[in-house]
Amino acid sequence: MFGKKAGTEELEAFYPIRPECVAEIPKTRFKPRAGKTLSARRWQAAFSETGCLDIAKVLRRIQRGGIHPSIKGLVWEFLLGCYNPNSTLEDRNQLRQQRRERYSMWKTECRNMVSVIGRGNFITTPIITDDGQPIEVEGCRVTSAVSDKKVAQWMLILHQFGLDVVRTDRALAFYEDKANQAKLWDVLSIYSWVDDDIGYVQGMNDICSPMRENFRCSTTSIGVQSQLGTLSQVIKTVDPQLHKHLEDLDGGEYLFAFRMLMVLFRREFSFLDALYLWETGNVGNGVQP
Amino acid sequence: MAHRVDHEYDYLFKIVLIGDSGVGKSNILSRFTRNEFCLESKSTIGVEFATRTVQVEGKTVKAQIWDTAGQERYRAITSAYYRGAVGALLVYDITKRQTFDNVQRWLRELRDHADSNIVLMMAGNKSDLNHLRSVSEEDGHAVAEKEGLSFLETSALEATNIEKAFQTILNEIYHIVSKKALAAQEAAASASIPGQGTTINVGDESGNTKTACCST
Repeated sequence: MFGKKAGTEELEAFYPIRPECVAEIPKTRFKPRAGKTLSARRWQAAFSETGCLDIAKVLRRIQRGGIHPSIKGLVWEFLLGCYNPNSTLEDRNQLRQQRRERYSMWKTECRNMVSVIGRGNFITTPIITDDGQPIEVEGCRVTSAVSDKKVAQWMLILHQFGLDVVRTDRALAFYEDKANQAKLWDVLSIYSWVDDDIGYVQGMNDICSPMRENFRCSTTSIGVQSQLGTLSQVIKTVDPQLHKHLEDLDGGEYLFAFRMLMVLFRREFSFLDALYLWETGNVGNGVQP
Repeated sequence: MAHRVDHEYDYLFKIVLIGDSGVGKSNILSRFTRNEFCLESKSTIGVEFATRTVQVEGKTVKAQIWDTAGQERYRAITSAYYRGAVGALLVYDITKRQTFDNVQRWLRELRDHADSNIVLMMAGNKSDLNHLRSVSEEDGHAVAEKEGLSFLETSALEATNIEKAFQTILNEIYHIVSKKALAAQEAAASASIPGQGTTINVGDESGNTKTACCST
């Protein structure tokens, strides 16, 4: 019994939970299983001498038992398609360097418009009015009226990130530190500037939180409405009685499942379990073995 | 039996919660339906629902309350949100001026999407944060009066006026509904179909009762 308990605690140490929040959040069910879960040792063994990855071998394992928390970040870079498995270590180092530089360039571009970006702080109230007039906000000043439509639209959404960032994964000790909240805010701000087609939908913070650095690589689907339609069709076929029951309860539109699909079950499971679900379920979405 | 529970009410009223992001809609909902308040609450994704059954003038009324994400972008996605809603609680945060200024925007939204007879109430939430106040109660009253809304300042944290806000909405809806029912009875009585105790369908006012007065 002691051994089991120690095992869970060890696991939680990778993503520490604030002690006062432990009771309120879903319990983690994921447990690394010997021979099934991708371990650090297996991971390292999957690389050739030049650093090419035998992705097929790794994927099989992940599908069976997920990834050990100690190497999640490294493996996820491949799962999300940031790197071609056939690339060499040298290729990847170069690519990483390039991406960091590009990110830093974007950051500078954003900071030139809104000084608070990249400074360990963020805003939760609007900094301009709907018609582009600056609003004075402590620690963040827009110096003149904004006329460019893209800039104005971006500035108008920045405080929304702030409102959501303070409400993201509050149970994680990581986000107790305001500087870390600010990092998430930076990523969301910069992402919405660079990809203004997608911009921001509430919930992206939940998706982004586990992957902060890799967010640029991932894609967020806004087609939830059509997914709900698909879900409805599937249930209707697979379990007509359940579908009928839901319709009787006026839930035939499956709106109750909106959040589950929108943030990919982040809210239904613990942090670790959601990652486990994503890595087993999304395996192959970003990679070509 | 669980399935019986659903029929143990006289009326089912759908009420929507609207207002800017972070004004406390979800906590108002949880305070009213579960008597809970969560300081650590998360942003709402899409729509969430909760119900509570209350007594209104001797009748059992089930309030089905819909809570939604405050971000404007979600409006388009959740088109079902306003459908069938007979009441709305429009919430702003008394410590954030902009959320109060946006009340106009929400009213416009309601005019565009909700039934024109929807019962509306405005709530200035977070009244416990009086020291951070940036909207005076008078300003709230002034806007409410101008727009013809009922108005209360509320605190989901301290459970102030939450009951009262929903009770006010539900009472008002009930009065409208029972007045309609009464009118229907009178219409039925004068329509001289004696001995027939069956239901008279008064029809949906927005539907086929429309006459051709505007078509010319």
